[in-house]
Amino acid sequence: MQAKPRFLKILDVVTAILFLVAVGMVFFYAPMEKTMGQVQRVFYFHVATAWVGMLGFLVAAIVGVIYLVRKERRWDIVGLAAIEISLVFFLIAIVSGSIWARPTWGTWWTWDPRLTTATIVELVYAAYMMLRSGIEDPDRRARFGAVYAILGFISVPLTFISIRLLRTIHPVVIGGGSASAEGDFSMTPKMLQTFMFSLLVFSVIFVDLLWHRIRLGRLADKVEQLRLKMVH
Amino acid sequence: METLETTNYMIAGYAVIFGVMLVYLVSLFVRWRNLKQDVQLLQELEDK
Repeated sequence: MQAKPRFLKILDVVTAILFLVAVGMVFFYAPMEKTMGQVQRVFYFHVATAWVGMLGFLVAAIVGVIYLVRKERRWDIVGLAAIEISLVFFLIAIVSGSIWARPTWGTWWTWDPRLTTATIVELVYAAYMMLRSGIEDPDRRARFGAVYAILGFISVPLTFISIRLLRTIHPVVIGGGSASAEGDFSMTPKMLQTFMFSLLVFSVIFVDLLWHRIRLGRLADKVEQLRLKMVH
Repeated sequence: METLETTNYMIAGYAVIFGVMLVYLVSLFVRWRNLKQDVQLLQELEDK
């Protein structure tokens, strides 16, 4: 396996610095929201982690199509990497949202359209991880993974539009608010800057983690190939 | 309108965010180290 590329080392450092700046902005630059108080600060990373989740699922669907066209295993490695990272970040978004909901809505959880569809997305991709681990043949596994990533992605835009089409208590950050939303707030310029910067930083974190996870996937593939070679 | 005292919820929220991210980073590192050892072992066995 090749040594860590120089550009990846630079990206690691840049990502760490950007992350620290984002944390600083969340706690020291963005003002406290007057109604909800300090818990509103969860919003910046709650939305950013959900964004990374959706981004990864989109990447997995795209590389799924590329795999089905080209039949090259490297695209399966990218797809698996993207889904694993997205699962982790989407879980963070769900749990941090639940913590934010407790003082704002008065409950940890409610079967609201957004929360329900987000849970479905998480379960759909958790099932992807479990099902693909049960397939031994690498090519069959990759084909299954590609088709599943494409079909599974249908659940992602459903989550995104659920709060825009259905009656919900979940606030709509971009594209106007719902009359029934609870915990909605108007962003001041400093809040908006912190929010946009957090989205940018988490996009960079996603790229950095994806690169690392792809390298890990390649190494796992190499181990699998060596094992198969020894068996036959 | 009075501001709610929600500092503890903010701390809990960020503990989850930072905690899960840290656990994932550690898992990447541990899996990388284990796979490296596997590659080394399998290559040694192959050479014998």
